[in-house]
Amino acid sequence: MELDSLKYVWRTLESAPAPEKSREQISALLRKRSGSAVARMQRNLRGELILILATYTPTILFYFLEFDGKLSGISWAFILLLAILAVYFHRKNKLLRAMQCAEHTLRSSLQQQIHTLKKYIRFYVQAGTIMIPIMTIFTWLIIRWKFPPAPGADLFYQISGSPWWQHPLTWIALLIPVTAGIYFVNLWYVNRLYGQHIRKLQELLREMEEEFS
Amino acid sequence: MLYKVCRLYCFSDTDRQDLFQEMVIQLWKSWPHFRGESKFSTWLYRIALNTAISDLRKQRRRPSPIDVNEIPAPLQHVTWPGEEDQQLQQLYAAINRLSEIEKALVMLYLEDKTYEEMEDILGINQNNLRVKMNRIKEKLRKMTKEATYGVR
Repeated sequence: MELDSLKYVWRTLESAPAPEKSREQISALLRKRSGSAVARMQRNLRGELILILATYTPTILFYFLEFDGKLSGISWAFILLLAILAVYFHRKNKLLRAMQCAEHTLRSSLQQQIHTLKKYIRFYVQAGTIMIPIMTIFTWLIIRWKFPPAPGADLFYQISGSPWWQHPLTWIALLIPVTAGIYFVNLWYVNRLYGQHIRKLQELLREMEEEFS
Repeated sequence: MLYKVCRLYCFSDTDRQDLFQEMVIQLWKSWPHFRGESKFSTWLYRIALNTAISDLRKQRRRPSPIDVNEIPAPLQHVTWPGEEDQQLQQLYAAINRLSEIEKALVMLYLEDKTYEEMEDILGINQNNLRVKMNRIKEKLRKMTKEATYGVR
């Protein structure tokens, strides 16, 4: 049977009455949560933000109010971190909104989604990796500030003027492998989350862009 | 039209309802951005096909090579002479085995869209569309022939 003969059947489908949806039914549909990938990613991002605020806020208040305000510097450090995280969340949300392009042609929608998703993944890996040295440096500065090196008799202190656990070289020696490890873990994690989706989109785009001479 | 797209891309009622809901949400979100630069039907097809094709959703059950239960419900009461009925079922089963892009092309072809309109919706140039359409027709011819000789 030829495809053209199916046109009659298709037209019969058209003339068959489609199930009517009332205004209330349509409103109920619109109130439900979207199951799209981008909507789920946006919900996860909101969840992350709420979790960060829920953990950072009591910590900030704790260091402001306790110890007669002597450790308020730690609170300010957390506030600075929150400001950096705000930029991080804003950027991620902007990328997710850019992925919602359902009104474009199918081809440009696929191109846009692939391009933006790759940017999103790159940003996620880079930001997640950079946060480790930033937080480590913050922690080291706070320790150096609040716990000045006490005179010690050990050899390390005698040579460098710092206990071994406060010396920058010790922290750098720990930081490099930890940062490298976190980088590869992030890479593996995002590939697990989004790798298959990107490959599927690329396959679809390749099929659309197939040129015939 | 939305129901037709759902029937083409989903094989279970639950998946069809999910996809229909998603399309309604996307239409609602995109409506404020519709400026009338393209035809309303073009805009509608773009959103429906973008939602059906490019969204990440759980793997839908793929039909078996000859799945004779895939005729849409409204047509089940319509009868055709015996041999045509079987061929129709085989053609539907063959369409179900096409890729997502090929299904979109078939749907627009069956909707009597011109190649210019298809280009507006899909973003593939008309020459490539013509070649793809011919290849799809050939593919469907082969699949239905295989099914016929396999069954007989």
